Amino acid sequence: MPSITFTQPDGTAQRLEVEQGTTLMRAAVSNGIDGIVGECGGQAMCATCHVYIRPEYADALPELGADEDEMLDCTAAERTERSRLGCQISTGASLPEIIVDIPAGQV
Amino acid sequence: MSANTARCPMGHGTTELPEQAESRPTHVGGVQHSGAKEVPVVNWLQPAQLLADPYGSYARLRTEAPVAWVPMLNKFLVTSYAGCHEIEQDQSIFNANVSGSTMNRAIGAHPMLRKDDPEHATDRLAVNPVLRPKNIKEAWAEVFARNADIYLDELEDVGPDNADLNRDYAAPLAAKNLGDLVGLKDVDVQTVRTWSHDFIAGIGNVLDDPEIWRRCEASTEQADALINELIPHYQLHPNASMLSAWANSGLPDANIAANVKLSISGGMNEPQHMVTNIVWALSNHPDQREQVLADPTGWTAVFDEAVRWLSPIGMYPRETTVDTVLEGVRIPAGSGIAVVVAAANHDPAQFGENAEDFDISRPKKSHLAFGAGVHLCAGHWAAKSAIGQIAVPKAYERFPGLRIEESRPGQWAGWVFRGLTSLPVTWN
Ligand code: HEM
Ligand code: HEM
Ligand code: FES
Repeated sequence: MPSITFTQPDGTAQRLEVEQGTTLMRAAVSNGIDGIVGECGGQAMCATCHVYIRPEYADALPELGADEDEMLDCTAAERTERSRLGCQISTGASLPEIIVDIPAGQV
Repeated sequence: MSANTARCPMGHGTTELPEQAESRPTHVGGVQHSGAKEVPVVNWLQPAQLLADPYGSYARLRTEAPVAWVPMLNKFLVTSYAGCHEIEQDQSIFNANVSGSTMNRAIGAHPMLRKDDPEHATDRLAVNPVLRPKNIKEAWAEVFARNADIYLDELEDVGPDNADLNRDYAAPLAAKNLGDLVGLKDVDVQTVRTWSHDFIAGIGNVLDDPEIWRRCEASTEQADALINELIPHYQLHPNASMLSAWANSGLPDANIAANVKLSISGGMNEPQHMVTNIVWALSNHPDQREQVLADPTGWTAVFDEAVRWLSPIGMYPRETTVDTVLEGVRIPAGSGIAVVVAAANHDPAQFGENAEDFDISRPKKSHLAFGAGVHLCAGHWAAKSAIGQIAVPKAYERFPGLRIEESRPGQWAGWVFRGLTSLPVTWN
């Protein structure tokens, strides 16, 4: 099973094992991970699923889509080159594990 | 049966109380609850009280029975933040395709709000690019500002002794903004208002009033004729409007027409109500008004707090597809659910002990005024821009000292849709 590790701003980490194809946002929301809201249910319409990707996983990610790029300009916490929307990234064969940092705020 | 005991939550001039029928939730889906926790039944809700000011009833519901069976409404009312939030997380259990939905008859076919994914997504994804913040800012902010100026001029002509912020500004401005954003071209403001009201009345026409259907069908006919003309027009001349995006999406014309009519129904009253809600809130909290006038970056927080505190859509319906348990209460398949977001938005468990107060400096928390999940309001960025960043700040710029005129009291109405039907204002 793919695994996702969410690291909170205070450093505490939670590791989840999820079904293939689960998005980072869906995994966080269904497991009650603090700090990921996912208000629009994954349509790239709200930017409340913002995460910072650890650089070692950057190459395994799908390319940044135009919608995602646009919405990343509307995040509550600062956008950095590590910023992605959790709803646009699915785990699976090309991404069997990932570690992300949760920003300080989403709304 | 329920058809006789049900009352439109809008009230519509009915002052008599509905019978307190002894219906039980088990009748809804026919499921027996052997060994299940007793379902709380609430018979004390007073329709007149809900319409006048629902927040006291909401507080009692949240404390005593946050998931309650309400025979009068033939629905489970969910009033806690946790309960409403959980509903939005699973559209396979809590379906938006409410059965016998008057919405489908009122505006034709199935609009996306009465669909679930994947069918919902096909309609919705086509229009999302129009409604993301970038297109709103680049293509629409200027239009919203120009429209605001037009109606500020009219408000000025009416003058500080007679002005009604709802009648003279909020109502025509919301209709004008919506007509432009949807892409209705030259349709005048009064026609947009008539269509919107007729569709909403049709959506609420659970008692099958033939006169309401007649008006709704007349408006539908007019709107459909226009939409059928505009689809080929926008295929040749695309622009930044919603109708243009749908016209070029490859969706069948019937889907497009249903969604355009949904947007006409759902995109006018709420922005209109937010204009008056904000001025009402700031007039009653002059310290916070001074704070935002001194620091205009505060307008974002003002809009967000006002839409939480005085949510223009108080509740929306869902229906269970399977037997389920919500916050410890068993709910049979096929039950009507009222997601009472206005109550959830005052829940101290989410917003702290001062949840009932208007406080633009409160810690940021997500609220449910725009819904949540895949049906999260399509127009939420448009509303934040058109109203929160433009219409209201511009009104305060134009009219220093803008405030409620206490000698001509305003009027609140409704709980499903709640807003000020009039708000007399004055200025220096
Ligand atoms: C004389 C006219 C009207 C009558 C007799 C009427 C009657 C009703 C009744 C019996 C219900 C069902 C309540 C329930 O058990 O769920 C209802 C629901 C509703 N009504 Fe009204 N209504 C009228 C006009 C309106 C208007 C003008 C609006 C909007 C401005 C409206 C909005 C609604 C809404 C939003 C619902 C909830 C719909 C749902 O649960 O899907 N109604 N109405
Ligand atoms: C402050 C203003 C507004 C508020 C409070 C508001 C509120 C809401 C809510 C609560 C829902 C979800 C209903 C449900 O899940 O059953 C919704 C959906 C919707 N709203 Fe808004 N709305 C506002 C402005 C607008 C505007 C300006 C438009 C037009 C562009 C619009 C178009 C829609 C549409 C099309 C949907 C259905 C979305 C879907 O099913 O995916 N709304 N709105
Ligand atoms: S969940 Fe809304 S943008 Fe990701």
